[in-house]
Amino acid sequence: MTMTPTVTLHSLPLNPGNFPTLSDALDYASLGETGCNFYSGRGKLAHVLSYKDLQIQAKNLAKKLNSLRLDRGARVALVADTNPDFIRFFFACQYAGLTPVPLPISLHLGGHQAYVTQLRRLLESCCPSVAMAPEGLVPYLEEASQGLGLSLIGGPEIFASLPEDESQLCPLAPHELAYIQYTSGSTRWPRGVEVTQAAVMTNLAGIIQNGLQVTAGDRCVSWLPFYHDMGLVGFVLGPIASQLSVDYLSTRDFAMRPRQWLSLMTKSQATISFSPSFGYELCVRRLGEESPEQFDLSHWRIAGVGAETIRAESLLRFSSTLGPSGFRQESFLACYGMAECSLAISFAPLGQGLDVDQVDGDCLSNEKEALPFIASLSSEENGRCSSFVNCGVPLPGYEVEIRDADGFALGIRKSGTIFVRGASIMSGYFNDPATTDEVLSADGWLNTGDIGYWIDDSLVIIGRSKDMIIINGRNIWPQDLEFLAEQQPEVRPGDSSAFSVSGPDGEEMAVMVIQCRDSDPQKREDLVKRLRALVYQELSIPCYIELIPPRSLPRTSSGKLSRSRAKIDFLSRVQWDVLAPMLSAS
Amino acid sequence: MTPYVEILPQILETLQPFTKEGQALAEETELVSELGLDSMQVMQVLLKIEDRFDISIPLNNLPTIRTVKDLGLEIEQLLKN
Repeated sequence: MTMTPTVTLHSLPLNPGNFPTLSDALDYASLGETGCNFYSGRGKLAHVLSYKDLQIQAKNLAKKLNSLRLDRGARVALVADTNPDFIRFFFACQYAGLTPVPLPISLHLGGHQAYVTQLRRLLESCCPSVAMAPEGLVPYLEEASQGLGLSLIGGPEIFASLPEDESQLCPLAPHELAYIQYTSGSTRWPRGVEVTQAAVMTNLAGIIQNGLQVTAGDRCVSWLPFYHDMGLVGFVLGPIASQLSVDYLSTRDFAMRPRQWLSLMTKSQATISFSPSFGYELCVRRLGEESPEQFDLSHWRIAGVGAETIRAESLLRFSSTLGPSGFRQESFLACYGMAECSLAISFAPLGQGLDVDQVDGDCLSNEKEALPFIASLSSEENGRCSSFVNCGVPLPGYEVEIRDADGFALGIRKSGTIFVRGASIMSGYFNDPATTDEVLSADGWLNTGDIGYWIDDSLVIIGRSKDMIIINGRNIWPQDLEFLAEQQPEVRPGDSSAFSVSGPDGEEMAVMVIQCRDSDPQKREDLVKRLRALVYQELSIPCYIELIPPRSLPRTSSGKLSRSRAKIDFLSRVQWDVLAPMLSAS
Repeated sequence: MTPYVEILPQILETLQPFTKEGQALAEETELVSELGLDSMQVMQVLLKIEDRFDISIPLNNLPTIRTVKDLGLEIEQLLKN
């Protein structure tokens, strides 16, 4: 029998996310005929999971989990591969009163130890009672959880063989945690965002009703990882809360064959799909000479873009390249959000495409004021023009302030740190009150760490968590790079500074500047080589390492190392033509 | 079934465009730390390998592949099944 994907249209009336909990949302979706569909990297439909079947299977699995007699709210760690098992387990936890914790899959060439170490740090952080991984990844999970006292670790089959507990299921209530979401922050110091049912349901309703204005007939496609807030909340929970069918491609398959995303959009006539800018870039880059007419993207109503700084020029390259496929530039929907707010904070207005604000870059750097860029007649007087994408008005019910360094709210076109308050803000970081206190005030304001400014009532984001390094869509924390440097006997704490710069070809690259006392050329070269290899091994990125004399890293007036100034210094002395050959293959 | 000795030259050929000028490529070359492949380039290499041999390399096996030889043995194994 050939498999058929779940339908787009069905007779169940659309409820746009008005549910008290995730299990209520699934209970309602199970009355219809929609569901999720999983495609292989070569475009073949591999699994179909209707919401009706998902509900039955998740409840059944919940009873099996209950036979383990875990405490209410106990954590269930789930290695989040793009497959039906993850969704079954996630919802089994909802019905059983347990807290699912999606864990990342980061499998790189030669990266066995790095992945085990990463998993172990996450397990130590969330203290789960049980843990599940796809069968092939169980050995990693077992190795990572040695000595942590979990009561059961295994693949889906081990859990399926548990006896069913006969007692009544008692699903998670609105005030209880819906899940713990690890931020894409530092891998060394993981932070687990606690999101209650009430929080995620509020955010989902805002996304569905205001941000996307979902209607019957919408359909989603996603290749975003299930352990990422946009992949999980946006494209697993969102479709269930709005009873939409969704077609999945795994992240790895997308990265390998980006055009499968466009093929799937064509085949399923999906209307909603999101990606960081990098995903759109990758499509254009890898499409090469291929004809865009082979795709039909005319149904694509919302091409969402967020998760990293939005690069308008790469998106416009996508829309002009894919124009012949029927893709409309107006479909681009810029948005802003983060796991600490469940997912979304603001959306640009629908159907209008990108609104790019051009400002005087020098004035923004020096005066922290985003004044419109005005080209003067003589080109010598022209300053630097910086372009940023307008991310729209915050969702109803959310307060947003842009504050200066002293905490005062700023007016329009003044750049500062973005603070948010609203019903979907996290309760805190799991088991980490100190870090929670750093970002969440007693009266509910979240310091996002992001920098932006207002244009009237719309938010413009200048940069994400100001020091974050983003390479090929992956967030790399400078602290993680600096830690590796400081593990070397030649390097002391405070001797290194990591940041990213736009390389000669316009792509972001990681750079680490290190104060080095040693003058022996051989020893210096040895340090650079060793560190580069270590960075590859741990983070799978190339990193340019520069050694500078002691006491030459710039510090702020309060004596702290300044990564932004180290970056400016680096850019002022770097000679790209000397550097380029060294970077040519990386 | 294709034996390793026949797979190796095909891998070397696939990797050639990803090497730096004058860089030697051999069985023991480490794909990431020596060739300096970033995660996107790894994906491109794997795509070429998968298409060339008509195989699908399971994600779980990537962490045990460090060198050209490891990759060759993995392909040999996948072609056997």
